[in-house]
Amino acid sequence: MSELIRLQHLSKTFGSGDGRVLALRDVSVSVEQGEIFGIIGLSGAGKSTLVRCINLLERPEEGQILFHGQDLVGLKRRQLREQRRRIAMIFQNFNLLEQRTSLQNICFPLELAGVGRMEAREKAQKLLAIVGLSDKADAYPVQLSGGQKQRIAIARALASDPEVLLCDEATSALDPQTTESILKLLQDINRERGITVIMITHQMSVIEQICHRVAILDQGTVAEIGKVEDVFSNPRTAAGRRLVSPDRAMPSSHWDGPVARLAFNGMTVDRPVIASLAAEKGILVSILGADTRNVDGRMFGTMLISLPEHEEGKRMALEYFNSQTGVTAEEVQRYV
Amino acid sequence: MFEFLSDPNFVQQLEILRSEFLPAAWETIYSLVLQVLFSYAIGLPLGVLLVTGEKNGIRPLPTWLMKSIHGGINLLRSVPFLILMIVALPLSKLLVGTKIGTAATIPPMVIAAFPLVARMVESSLREVSHGVVEAAQSMGASAMQIVTRVLLPEAMPSLLSGGAITMTTILGYGAMAGIIGGGGLGKLAIDYGYYNFKTFVMWVAVIGLIVLVQLIQTAGTKLSKVCDKRLRNRK
Repeated sequence: MSELIRLQHLSKTFGSGDGRVLALRDVSVSVEQGEIFGIIGLSGAGKSTLVRCINLLERPEEGQILFHGQDLVGLKRRQLREQRRRIAMIFQNFNLLEQRTSLQNICFPLELAGVGRMEAREKAQKLLAIVGLSDKADAYPVQLSGGQKQRIAIARALASDPEVLLCDEATSALDPQTTESILKLLQDINRERGITVIMITHQMSVIEQICHRVAILDQGTVAEIGKVEDVFSNPRTAAGRRLVSPDRAMPSSHWDGPVARLAFNGMTVDRPVIASLAAEKGILVSILGADTRNVDGRMFGTMLISLPEHEEGKRMALEYFNSQTGVTAEEVQRYV
Repeated sequence: MFEFLSDPNFVQQLEILRSEFLPAAWETIYSLVLQVLFSYAIGLPLGVLLVTGEKNGIRPLPTWLMKSIHGGINLLRSVPFLILMIVALPLSKLLVGTKIGTAATIPPMVIAAFPLVARMVESSLREVSHGVVEAAQSMGASAMQIVTRVLLPEAMPSLLSGGAITMTTILGYGAMAGIIGGGGLGKLAIDYGYYNFKTFVMWVAVIGLIVLVQLIQTAGTKLSKVCDKRLRNRK
């Protein structure tokens, strides 16, 4: 795989004087061709600003945005518009043209590029079929559900045959089922068309489900970056731990013994791992808090459990969990 | 009780109406159309500029320029129409060659109306969500493409209902233009009715204007609703 986009030393502030907010601070990220790259962070971490810098909807004050090795920041308006056609984007609020039908919305980027009317319509029909909404060609956005709107927005984004698809919280306004189906669609697009996908989200599940690599953004800087499995199963920074083990999985205050964090990373749900630890090793642990999800029969998320007080039992329990596939365990300090 | 029908004064008023009402109504409509056309020719681009040229707009203009445009519009909007009309008369002489008559009223009316049009257009365009504009930008749309293919079409329902308001306002100005000899229903009401105590003529002319306003407003609202695809019932 080769590098497609490289963000170098990006900095961006908003406002001035006392209201000055540092949105990005010396952010450097590199995205490979053909991967699904996730950027996760709490709200206000600067992730939206970061993704909007990639197509220069937001201009960084410092730094470079290299696309195929070419710096977009220095481009003239016209050249930038050319490049933007190769970097499509979808949004949390879909941003469809409300006075146009689905088909006309998909034709829109083609119209901008000067493609003929008939040719544009033909292509739009094909794209409608790809996103599974051929029957909604003449529907207006107001007549569509949130998931359908995002599908139309995806079709519209694909119309200009982009190399990259930027997703700015693309599933955040959708219910869980619809989110699943949109993620599936994005995954298909990535696989079948080789389009590089960059996803901004605050939802762990989104990253876990489809991203290959992830960057954790915290207060305008990249806290961690790496393969999703590595970063989520073993977060090395406080920001990473906050994300991986959110409030719901905090231990209760009634246990002051040692605590372990289990990171589920695709373990099959029919494996009763806590019970089998008791049955096979005779070690009893209790669940202190959990934030897990069942995705296609596989478990993702985090669980905090109590560990035996004595070292031997502790070690055996951790070893047991780590010998299972799809789960990692480590003893954790009581971080707050 | 119908003896007033044979009252010579009333008969005379009927006679005036018969010969003057239709030409006056026509003149009102004809000058209205011209005034609206010219007002939009200046006001529409100006309104677009007010939105696109601002600091976070799609093509920011220098702050001093934006401030002068805003100031100029506010200035024109705050001068009372009667005074504006008289001040602008030399301009009429220059543009249409005369200071009196219907043609002479058009330049002052346009000067009074285009700032209103600019503000109406501005507020309609502001209703278009910034996200949609960004989406177009992300697809590589030029500023011109955003104006013609995003801002104006998306704001069309609002532009149309704003258009109806503008037209009825211009119609109101038209009545005052009777003072400098502008023809039309307003002149009929003022000249014959008000100055010459022919009350019946005055009321008929006023009713004519009322009907016109109703028609314009109803048509504008209807048109705006018909073209607004956001109002479609969900299937």
